Amino acid sequence: MWLDDSSPIRKQDLTLSKPFVNAAGTLGFAPDPHTMPFLEQLGAFITNPISRKPRVPAGNRACLPFPGGFLLHTGLPNPGISRAVSRNQHRWAGAPLPVIVHLLVETPETLAEMVQKLEGQENILAVELGLSLDCTPEDLSALMEAAAGELPVLVSLGPEQLPILLEPLNALNPVAVHLTALRGALPGGYGKLVTGRLYGPAVFPIMLHAAQMLVGAGLRVIADGGSDESWQVDALRDVRVTAVGLAEILWNVDSRRVSKR
Amino acid sequence: MAELRGKLTEVFQLGNERAGILDLPVKLWPQPGQYLPCQNLSRDSAVLPTNLFNVIGPKGKLSVGLLPGDWDPGNTLAALPPQGHGFDLPADARRVGLLAMGVSPARLLTLVEHALAQDAAITLFCTPTPPGDILDWLPTAVEVSPFTSLLDNLDWPDYLAVEISREDLDDLSALFEESRLPFPGQVLVRTAMPCRGLGECGVCSVKTTQGWKLACKDGPVFPLEELIHVA
Repeated sequence: MWLDDSSPIRKQDLTLSKPFVNAAGTLGFAPDPHTMPFLEQLGAFITNPISRKPRVPAGNRACLPFPGGFLLHTGLPNPGISRAVSRNQHRWAGAPLPVIVHLLVETPETLAEMVQKLEGQENILAVELGLSLDCTPEDLSALMEAAAGELPVLVSLGPEQLPILLEPLNALNPVAVHLTALRGALPGGYGKLVTGRLYGPAVFPIMLHAAQMLVGAGLRVIADGGSDESWQVDALRDVRVTAVGLAEILWNVDSRRVSKR
Repeated sequence: MAELRGKLTEVFQLGNERAGILDLPVKLWPQPGQYLPCQNLSRDSAVLPTNLFNVIGPKGKLSVGLLPGDWDPGNTLAALPPQGHGFDLPADARRVGLLAMGVSPARLLTLVEHALAQDAAITLFCTPTPPGDILDWLPTAVEVSPFTSLLDNLDWPDYLAVEISREDLDDLSALFEESRLPFPGQVLVRTAMPCRGLGECGVCSVKTTQGWKLACKDGPVFPLEELIHVA
């Protein structure tokens, strides 16, 4: 196949030394070996979501338990890309594992700006695009184009986005797809509904089914999804995901549960 | 971070909350206002750690709460060392006020022993009056008064320790005039801390005069002056 000037050249290689990563939003903006003894079991560290401009916490932020899990709504507070890079670039460079920077996507223009700030940073393995719930196939194509550059690009989405985005994902063929937390709603304080991300073993069956669909479509998949037990990790690997994303298990006090993975 | 193991030797009621005695070495006890992230190894069902605070209870033992409903005596807990910033009672405080705003005073009352050790007078300001199974643990030297009497006597305390839910922090500002804070104080902010300082998840974010802070790492006890009249 001949290359021509109109075709973007994309790095397609994403090598993880271990088949585990952390879910974005679970371990902060940079790895800390002093407080995270499980880092040696991860193939990469994924940062908390970072947006172009700083974001403050949501006014109705909440952690709402339900049987088998919990809902988390935070507003994804972060210092914005410029400050995130300046505060963390040395810790990223000196980290004992490679870093994947999770970016909250708004427009192709702002995404290109954020990706450019990361290119040239040491020890950044890839960027991960956190898609909004209303992302269309056209949006996805434009975003992938905007993110194309030195760094491999992962696409991060929830299972509820697969009906609309599975086919274009197949065509765009990102270096990997990271299947992340499903969204839901629960009553919060003062009788109002709170919408947020769902974690815990209760969501595992949905995540396993979604992972199977993505792998079946020929995509490389990193799958989050309530993998708190070994059998859940085994089930995900049996459907041939490339890696398993660990979330609330990393907040456990009992470190043996993490090392059992 | 080294992991600890301890047994829950006893469970008792403190008002409508459950507390327990945890057998940990004294050097590992949390200071008032600090917390222990815990997981019950005898019950495999919890998805998140439970953050336990020192609460009032039998002298010479580590009483912790709030316990989940299915934790029982004999359960083995895994815990991390004490986390966060606790109360720091000034050594020269002689009139110590404890203010429980809409929450149980069980955690605040762990300051009583420290205050009595420095010959301070102590008043618990609390509405409604705490239930009998909390009052039973109070030394007679501690006066219990309704919340309104603090408002009538703002000149009395030379140190005020407060506990309040994060959602009610605006009520704190209403107590004090903008230009005048009559005494130094600290506030234990009661909020969910699911990532126990590991993930900067933001659920426990508290807006202060110094910007946004995280209760799990920067608190959960904050200086009083940082939490009132926050723009």
